[in-house]
Amino acid sequence: MAEKQKRKIAFPMVARYNEVVRYFVEEGLQQTYIMQPQMTRRTLKLGAKYAPDMVCTPFKTVLGSMIEALEAGADTLIMVFGYCRLGYYGELAETILRDLGYEFDYLNLAEYSTGKKKDYLKAIKKLNPDAKAVPMGKAGLDGLKMIEYIDEVESYYYQNCGFETSKGEYRRALNQFTADLGRAKNRSDIDDAYDRCMSRFHEIPTDKGAFPLRVGVLGEYFTVMDEFSNVDLEQSIADLGVEVHRWMNVSHRNIHYPGEKNLHPRISKYCNYEMGPTSTANIWYAKRCAEKGYDGLVHVKSAGCTPEIDIMPVLQRIGADYKIPILYLTYDSQDGDAGLQTRIEAFYDMIEMRKKVIR
Amino acid sequence: MEDVYMGIDVGSISTKGVIITKENKILSSEYIWTEGNPIGAVKKLVRLLEKQFDKENYRIVATGTTGSARKLVGTVLSATVVKNEITAHAVGTTTFHPDVRTILEIGGQDSKIILVENGVAVDYAMNTLCAAGTGAFLSSQSARLGIPVEDMGEIAVKSQHPTQIAARCTVFAESDLVHKIQVGHTKEDIVAGLCQAVVGNYLNNVGKGKKIQSPVVFQGGVSKNIGVVKAFENQLGCPIIVDPDGHLMGAIGAAILARRNKERRVFNFDVEDMEFITREINCGGCPNNCEIICVYRNGEMIDSWGNRCERGDVAARKAANPNAAAV
Ligand code: SF4
Ligand code: SF4
Repeated sequence: MAEKQKRKIAFPMVARYNEVVRYFVEEGLQQTYIMQPQMTRRTLKLGAKYAPDMVCTPFKTVLGSMIEALEAGADTLIMVFGYCRLGYYGELAETILRDLGYEFDYLNLAEYSTGKKKDYLKAIKKLNPDAKAVPMGKAGLDGLKMIEYIDEVESYYYQNCGFETSKGEYRRALNQFTADLGRAKNRSDIDDAYDRCMSRFHEIPTDKGAFPLRVGVLGEYFTVMDEFSNVDLEQSIADLGVEVHRWMNVSHRNIHYPGEKNLHPRISKYCNYEMGPTSTANIWYAKRCAEKGYDGLVHVKSAGCTPEIDIMPVLQRIGADYKIPILYLTYDSQDGDAGLQTRIEAFYDMIEMRKKVIR
Repeated sequence: MEDVYMGIDVGSISTKGVIITKENKILSSEYIWTEGNPIGAVKKLVRLLEKQFDKENYRIVATGTTGSARKLVGTVLSATVVKNEITAHAVGTTTFHPDVRTILEIGGQDSKIILVENGVAVDYAMNTLCAAGTGAFLSSQSARLGIPVEDMGEIAVKSQHPTQIAARCTVFAESDLVHKIQVGHTKEDIVAGLCQAVVGNYLNNVGKGKKIQSPVVFQGGVSKNIGVVKAFENQLGCPIIVDPDGHLMGAIGAAILARRNKERRVFNFDVEDMEFITREINCGGCPNNCEIICVYRNGEMIDSWGNRCERGDVAARKAANPNAAAV
């Protein structure tokens, strides 16, 4: 295919996963990937301006970052599929963008997310009818590996960065990792990026003490994973000198998800039916953190997120049974909430003083 | 010469300060209005504290600040500790009421609840959005009724049959109030109804899902209203403790936290003669366009914050000269 006929494909910003999509588009589909700028307040403002008021915040962020992708020159958009309403919002996003006068091709993953191989192929054929199966299969597997690496790196990062003896070293290593992934052209580039980052992490001097505070972060899929959406929640907690743990990520929830069937027996005391897309996993994870003796839990949701509001009473019961403090945070489209920092700091003081009394 | 500790609590409505000894004896204490000017208020407050202070025998070796302007005021006073108001209130209150289990607080514009176990906070909630469970609700309704807020408590306790006021929300409450006045409810009953409404809103809002256990301590400006205290006692079915120094608990907590902290810096009241100003600049480094607050002492920048990334520091440095920043 001639160079100028290549599609310019973009994907909404989601946590650190856009490099994976870029890799698949460039190496597998052999098309051009358009990376929009990192999300800023402008992204959210754009999204909030054009989205209906009643939709939850993740949709607004996704819409905003699609507009920024179109501005950056994309001609083809891939829409994420979420687990609940976000899944139905794909059409809405398309309508809004077309009404704004943008011209683009649109691939709504929700229409193909049946889990059947045939459907995935259909989706891919739409993007590039000439796509070759072998490089695509390979790029797909590499992409999955990339996701696992990203999740491993992030989780190591948030468990340790709060204890570095000289400020900023972990962040530099993480930034390097993201930059390396951005340049990856094949599997060995990906492996190298991961190896380099991990060995750099291991060399950073830390001072953890014998009983570091441990906090489990859980909640709504998008907001809990995306640091722009949760206003650097994990970083703010870690910076106070805390090990921050989070189960929710694409590796755990999508690639290696144990399934509701396997999780329900472990939480039968608290809930017996599926309450929402991430509810079962969140209840299970909250209970596991409590059993492991973590010092606190932070539950995150966007304003208007019904499934996560529904599990709050269950979490309250777990909190009471295991005597583990839980901080509940709701994010709406107004950021820069000074109250947020106050509550995180107060939560930290609380679990820290409590730990001293218990020990 | 004995070492003592100062705590300052600067809220949006009032500014409070104390100087305490190692044994938590209060040597000086003051309470003034912030009047939208935290720096001015704190300078005035420090001057008032100094008047009551015996410099021959005592020396302030550590200073803690709390409240919504804690960071700014912490910079101005070169504080050794800057703490959020939840922790400061919990620490202050548990020091004077070691067995407390629940701290209720209703201030002019916000309210909070703190649950305590074994002397440490285990759960809390705060409300900054809905006015219906705060003092602002009472003051707006008192203005409507033409009764000074300070008198509301005394009037309320005279009531035998408090009026039921639909008060899930300030707006509804107001229209219902007008209606109740028109159909002839007495002033006492209406005022008592308002006190109950504040309590109901508070319990439904910040207190929602919280297990309130006795002993209960009630603080904040509204705790001076005996009508609200009685309404709490009725709805919770337990005695409510109101400490006469309740309004100072945040400041006392800040002073205690300063004492517990290792850092020491002698405070000698010279801030009174210094000039402090703040400037807000926009970084402009990216579409976030962070608002960076720069604080200047006698024309020299001493601190800045509000930027989300390091690039903002550069912008702040450019504003090191306050006159340049004003442009
Ligand atoms: S999980 Fe919550 S935030 Fe996500 S789409 Fe559903 S309601 Fe919205
Ligand atoms: S401080 Fe950083 S994030 Fe904020 S506007 Fe400047 S460059 Fe952007």
